Amino acid sequence: MATIAAAVASACLLILLFSKDFVGSLYLFFIAPLTNFYYLGNLVATMVPLIVAGLGVAFAFESRNFNLGGEGQIYAGALAATLVALLLPESPALGVQLLSCAAAAVAGGLIGAFSGMLKRRLGVDELISSFLASSLIVLFVDYLVTGPFQDPSSNFQTTRAIAPAAAFARIFLPSSLSSGIFVALLLSLAGKAVMDRTRFGFELKLCGANREFAQYAGIDSGSYTLVPMALSGALHGLAGSLMIFGSYYKVMRGFSSGIGWSAIAVSLIAKNNPLALIPAAAFYAYLDSGAKSVMMGSDLSSEIVAIVQAVIFLFITASRLPFARVFASRKGGSE
Amino acid sequence: MNWLGAAGMLSGNAIAAMTPLVFAAMGGLFTELAGMLNIALEGLILVGAFFAIVAASVTHSLLAGFIAGSLAAMTLAWVYGAATIRLKANIFVTGLAANIFASGLTVVLSNQWFGTKGVIALKAPELTRPFAGALGGIPFLGQVLFSHDIIAYLSWLCVLATWILIHNTSAGIRMRATGANPEAVAASGFKPDAYRLLAIVLSGLFCGMAGASLSLPLAAYVPNMSAGRGWIALVAIYLGARKPGRIALACFVFALAESYSNYAQGLLRIPSEFMLAIPYAATLIALVAGSMAERARRGNR
Repeated sequence: MATIAAAVASACLLILLFSKDFVGSLYLFFIAPLTNFYYLGNLVATMVPLIVAGLGVAFAFESRNFNLGGEGQIYAGALAATLVALLLPESPALGVQLLSCAAAAVAGGLIGAFSGMLKRRLGVDELISSFLASSLIVLFVDYLVTGPFQDPSSNFQTTRAIAPAAAFARIFLPSSLSSGIFVALLLSLAGKAVMDRTRFGFELKLCGANREFAQYAGIDSGSYTLVPMALSGALHGLAGSLMIFGSYYKVMRGFSSGIGWSAIAVSLIAKNNPLALIPAAAFYAYLDSGAKSVMMGSDLSSEIVAIVQAVIFLFITASRLPFARVFASRKGGSE
Repeated sequence: MNWLGAAGMLSGNAIAAMTPLVFAAMGGLFTELAGMLNIALEGLILVGAFFAIVAASVTHSLLAGFIAGSLAAMTLAWVYGAATIRLKANIFVTGLAANIFASGLTVVLSNQWFGTKGVIALKAPELTRPFAGALGGIPFLGQVLFSHDIIAYLSWLCVLATWILIHNTSAGIRMRATGANPEAVAASGFKPDAYRLLAIVLSGLFCGMAGASLSLPLAAYVPNMSAGRGWIALVAIYLGARKPGRIALACFVFALAESYSNYAQGLLRIPSEFMLAIPYAATLIALVAGSMAERARRGNR
């Protein structure tokens, strides 16, 4: 709560500092996003990748592996999904969606597994290797999107769009909200069940809390580096494919544009709890839509939301560590 | 062009490109020695670059720009360090915060002050090249060693200063002790946290200089002009076995790769994305190779 208060306070302060029309910008930031269904629908649509990628972050962080490669994994997943969908133009929508999402999960998962494997075999810090691998992937996908897979009929730096029939149903026109939100909500429920009700989830959290203890308990802690990193990458890739089928229909250059970082913020706010990802993503999407509305309606640039995000990151672990949930529950604290 | 001329041009460019890396790596060395992984180098460089060029153009003084860039990065480093150490926050998350803050703040301010989110070209005086006149005419060596601006020579001095600071001053020795054995430092009556914070603020100072050495010679600020240098600096520290001289050498190798890629791009017409990828690829390969060598060395014992 303290972090959310700090985030709201810093947003107010930034508007006070940089806007000539304080009250007007304040209204645009905090109230306008809630005043009509178009904005509200877009706000909920923004939650979709944040929840799914946030779940990916949660699985990595909860096992104490830092996946900093979300940006590249989302971008690669989006491209993989788009390419599969473009290859199967006349197939039934459900088949295309399943195959594309699977391809996206594999693409993201392989990138995550790469860092997990390096950590397990060579002890290479996964935090640095995932960031570097992701930076490479982003540049490579940039090249593919503007080179070999560029839509020849478009002046924009984008791939061709998938067949409209293959996309998810829009459920809240004219906003970009699609049935993808249900996939995200279901995944968050499933993530909660896996984390709290399965042996995998238990051992994963144990490895996160105390790797040496887990080793003594007979758990192969090395595979709890590889598997969570791969799962984390796969969920990021999936988030990318949901964006394609839900709202965007094609990959443009710079597609992921910070969603990977935002997902880390969301997961930290939710303290890696899969169910808490939903309100955390809603809060984050609210800040994001506020920033967009301020950018369109006033003299401020939307990057103020990056500063608010930074404030969240600065304080979120100060009051409580990202892994504190495990420690707290052990002491019989809040669960 | 004959091969000597080409080699002279490549290594001369590499030595120029090495300057920001050297500053940043020396800054990161302090935090590394104090036992912390400082991923905020990238953001600190960016803030330094932005404020250096803004201050230089307002005051028409390069020195003022250089100092302003350093102070701005130190301030951000202090906030980042205080949150990490005083509030006991996770250093990786606060480092991320510093990086995101830096890229957000520079865009917001650039939009606010200059009405653009793109490149800001400002009028700043030209940097002096102290040895170019007298010694620049020497074949090969003139180009490689004596053609550089004053900030480049300052970065060489920085390597020396860092070496003296960590080996011959009590603060430097206690800082290293904090990384090696914080309990022992505390038992001797010193505060490990104070030396951790000092290391972070020093890394801010040096990264600010790194940023100034990017924007001042160009007389412009380009969004995200740090372009991964903070990360490369981290790997240079690692490859240089945390010794200032060897780190500078590692920086030179990375800079040579950069200057070669710029040269090759002109010749081979390779897509720019591949050129931009070279620092990240080189860093990743160096990281993996370094870990493999480490494993082999341990295995032989």
